[in-house]
Amino acid sequence: MSKNLHLSLVRSLSSLQEEKEYIDEILLDHIGLSLKRGTIVEIVGEASSGKTSVPLSLLSKLTKTGEICALVDGGNSFDPCTAFLAGVELDNLFWIKCGGSLEKAFLASDYLVQAKGFGAIWLNLNGLSEHQLRMVPKTYWYRYRNRIKETPTVLLVTATEHITGSASHRSLLFSRERTEWSGNGRFKLLRQFHISLLSQKGVYGKPLQTKIKMDYTDV
Amino acid sequence: MSRSYACIISSEAKRDSQILTAVARQFAYSIEMIEDGILFDVSGLERLIGNPEQVANKIVAELKRKNVPGSVAVAETLNTATLLARQKSGQEQAVHSPDQFHQLPLRDLDIERDTLNVFNDLGIRSVEDLLAVPRSDLIGRYGQGFENVINTIEQKSTSILTPNVKENQVSWNYDLEASVENFEQLTFVLNHGLGQLFEQVEHCGFSTEHLDILFKLKNKTEKAYEVKTSFPTLERTFWLKLINLRASLDPPEAEIMSVNIIAYFARPRASQRGLYAVSRPEPESLLLTANKLKKLVGEDNVGTPVLLDQRLSQPFALDGDKLPTGRESLDAARVDPIIAFSYFNPPLGAEVLVRDGRLVFIKTKFFSGHVIEYSGVWKANSKWWETSWKTQEWDVEVENNGVYRLCKVNKEWFLAGEYD
Repeated sequence: MSKNLHLSLVRSLSSLQEEKEYIDEILLDHIGLSLKRGTIVEIVGEASSGKTSVPLSLLSKLTKTGEICALVDGGNSFDPCTAFLAGVELDNLFWIKCGGSLEKAFLASDYLVQAKGFGAIWLNLNGLSEHQLRMVPKTYWYRYRNRIKETPTVLLVTATEHITGSASHRSLLFSRERTEWSGNGRFKLLRQFHISLLSQKGVYGKPLQTKIKMDYTDV
Repeated sequence: MSRSYACIISSEAKRDSQILTAVARQFAYSIEMIEDGILFDVSGLERLIGNPEQVANKIVAELKRKNVPGSVAVAETLNTATLLARQKSGQEQAVHSPDQFHQLPLRDLDIERDTLNVFNDLGIRSVEDLLAVPRSDLIGRYGQGFENVINTIEQKSTSILTPNVKENQVSWNYDLEASVENFEQLTFVLNHGLGQLFEQVEHCGFSTEHLDILFKLKNKTEKAYEVKTSFPTLERTFWLKLINLRASLDPPEAEIMSVNIIAYFARPRASQRGLYAVSRPEPESLLLTANKLKKLVGEDNVGTPVLLDQRLSQPFALDGDKLPTGRESLDAARVDPIIAFSYFNPPLGAEVLVRDGRLVFIKTKFFSGHVIEYSGVWKANSKWWETSWKTQEWDVEVENNGVYRLCKVNKEWFLAGEYD
């Protein structure tokens, strides 16, 4: 009797679920990045560091193949025109404008994460108060991480400073090395940014160098 | 097992088509509208109602109740029933017995005029007279084409009923014993109603993607909701959540007295997807999430981006009625990244030092610095045909800071956004 009771307290190993994970990675060849599905990826950078350009490349890659992606626009800063130029299929993009409310941005992300099946969710926190961002409890990020870990979703977070802590799978620091202008005197045009990209988590190594060009095509 | 068909012929068939259909629907599922009336299959009703004459009398009683003119006949073949019902009786509602068939004049049959004249000269004027002529003699004289007429008079016609009346909706109505103030209190009742409604929809082999909900309120007004999805589904909990979200966005102004729900038919959804199809949120899940988000951030702040073909400072909009489609594009994805633009919301006010016509220094409440490079001036304005050119724009690179779009309107300087 006591032996049976003792055994009943020990759960059989077969009842433990094996944690599934998506081995699939999304390659952004031109930038030299690969993003793992089912994880949080954080992109951090100062003004004009190219941190908005990378999410657009990711959205372009996914929406072209018919995946549905979502954008939580914390500060209503999203420009669909440059997204279109970057190749984003706007019909496959779900845009949520949060009007500068951090609380709404986090709740919206929570709803999206629960819905499951999105290719990527871009939580754009640019333009929101840094002071408020520092107040966000870390538990939020762990909640998101647990929700998406068995889904094909990449949760991409862009901000001006690190906020996701150890919940993110990768953290990338972007900085602009220099800006290239063409033309002379008063007749100049912005041409490209020379960007340095340092991985601070996941894959370590020398900073990657890349260029981001300006597109003046009329949409 | 013999079949029986009923026919109602009415002089006002077109005007009363809805009522005739409603009458027919009380007796049959298979209904065919014809030019001057309606045909329906009443096989099997002999056990419930009685012999064909009793069935016809019951139909006539329904016509009288609805005050619709019409003559009714019930027979074993469609042609017999139609020919009998087309007989004029002089009464507004009349029953024609199958026994009368033998007395029908030949002119009602599909016989050529010359042949009719010959029959008339020979003294053959009714169906009964024609039946007395041997079949082989008639076919030998008038050919195989006359066989149809012979089959009709022998009541062996093989024409079949072709249902052409389709239902496109079902409804459910419930009057509450006591008025309900809070919509959420109705959830139990709605759940029950949706269950019944969807059972009927499923019974007809359909699904639904459109519900109309009408609440009668205590202040003698009505509140209507139109709930639509982009896909057909009969999942009750999903519809219930959707109705709840819709009602919470725009709640009824007074207590609810009664509920009426109409479900419109739609073809059921094919559930199988392609083997290599990319992962997408389930349509139900996407729609519910969209409605939850609309409740959170407002209806105008959730949707898909749309570009506007206009020269505006922000030439785009958010389409709140459209959800992402998940359509695959045939164009290859762009490989090289481009510089993105991020708007400042609201625009960031700035003080700008201009020396010798050149931008020199910028100061905002967050940063300040020398202008290293800039391009412009670009003149931009929306609807320039209505107002004069007012907005001037520059792309400026600020020392130890970013690259911004600087704007000047009526001597006011501000940063519209950042190149990122």
